[in-house]
Amino acid sequence: MRRLCFFLFLIILVQPSLADNNLTFVSTWQRIGLFEGPGITYWQTGWLNAGVEVTLLERNVAGTWVHVQRVDTSGDVLLDGWVMSAFFNLPDDFDFGSLPVSSLPDADIDNVNSQSMSQLFSVPVIPEISLAMQEVYQRGVEAGNHPNVITKVGDSLMQNDEYLQVMSQPNYDLGGYVFLTQTVEFYRESAGQPSVAARLGLTTYVVFDPMWADPAQCEAGESPLNCEYRLKRPSVALIMFGANDVQHMTDAIFDEQMRLLVEETLAQNIIPVLFTFSYHPDNEFWWQAINFNLRLVQIASDYEVPLVNLWSAARALPEFGLDVDRIHLKNSGVDWLDFTNGREARYGVTLQNLLTIRVLHEIRRSIPHEIDSPDNATDF
Amino acid sequence: MRLTLLIMLLIFSLTACAESGEDAAAQVVEDYLTAKIQGNRDELSRLLCSELESTLDREALSFASVSGARIENLACEQNGDVVTCAGQIVATYGTNDQTFPLTSYRVVQEDGEWKWCGEAG
Repeated sequence: MRRLCFFLFLIILVQPSLADNNLTFVSTWQRIGLFEGPGITYWQTGWLNAGVEVTLLERNVAGTWVHVQRVDTSGDVLLDGWVMSAFFNLPDDFDFGSLPVSSLPDADIDNVNSQSMSQLFSVPVIPEISLAMQEVYQRGVEAGNHPNVITKVGDSLMQNDEYLQVMSQPNYDLGGYVFLTQTVEFYRESAGQPSVAARLGLTTYVVFDPMWADPAQCEAGESPLNCEYRLKRPSVALIMFGANDVQHMTDAIFDEQMRLLVEETLAQNIIPVLFTFSYHPDNEFWWQAINFNLRLVQIASDYEVPLVNLWSAARALPEFGLDVDRIHLKNSGVDWLDFTNGREARYGVTLQNLLTIRVLHEIRRSIPHEIDSPDNATDF
Repeated sequence: MRLTLLIMLLIFSLTACAESGEDAAAQVVEDYLTAKIQGNRDELSRLLCSELESTLDREALSFASVSGARIENLACEQNGDVVTCAGQIVATYGTNDQTFPLTSYRVVQEDGEWKWCGEAG
């Protein structure tokens, strides 16, 4: 009897700790690869078959990979590894934000043969926001930039209606990324506005060329970039160039132009968020594209600006998230924000949207609360 | 009678010269726009004012990412140091046509020759 009481006492002691860990048992709806860490550069150790119930233990920063485990009734580990989070049958209220964040890096660079690719893989998918950028944000808001206004700057990959503008639709479904809801709500009206600095065929050269500005909205002699910043007074500019530029200029010139772009953005107290761009290894300019992306990494480091490593994250997607032309990111065909049915693991544009919201979430988390308040927000 | 003829000849010559100058400035702008869509760096360099020399690379690569760039209904007219052009540039990106309406441009004289010097404010 005393032994039974002791046993019951132990159960009571253990119960809360299990609840604290918030263990979730789920299964996937398709067979997916199981890796040693949160990315395809880690060794693949096996497969997780559809319908097999596993426990979710932790996630990467972005929330796109989760650590899973399956144990038998005697507590022996049957299966342990990392899988893409997009393929789970999740309970309705499940939030990846409830999982602890792993300290494992997004890539195991020891398994990457090429030195330049290894350098690129070593950059986190989602950056930390530097103190310098928090100050830029604060100065910008004090100078009249709108805290809840964002804009996009770039070529056809940014101009795409499915990128960012879908955020403005009210019927969004974030799937397991519930923790991003407030960020979506904060920026969604602004995200719906098109940008005069995101246009088909735009390059880092012509973003400064008044001839490429919309004469209906821009002043004479005003570049698309300055016009967009004047019209919107954003606090954050999402900037992605490269897929066009790589065909027409050297990486040294690209570097020079991107630095001008970053400097102009910072001069207006707007946080420039840079993106590496996905590129197909079979394309003619593959190695040039790697060099361009490495230049972006260096620029982000030099100016302490955030950089989203879309190139790295998209490596896990079919055809690297690209469409049949192997240049543009693949659209999902859904004109609202939808992170269900594995879309972020199949379509480059859905992944681009997810990572954008994720970095905006990081920016909001890093700034003083009083700045990021509804009182300072702008209505549209 | 001879004097009147002489005066008329002088007025005619002056008008012709002035018109020729105006034609020249408008022609420079037309040539500049043509060189820009063709990415003709040498020609752009010849027609660009010294104030904007630093933008030569940008100007030469402006239409590099699009194809089939052409100018439609081009007609330019000078008024002082401003040349106003009607028409538009049309270029194709993928399967999409992009249009760039023409506007007013500043011209300056350097060493006796007209130069294109950006959009007129």
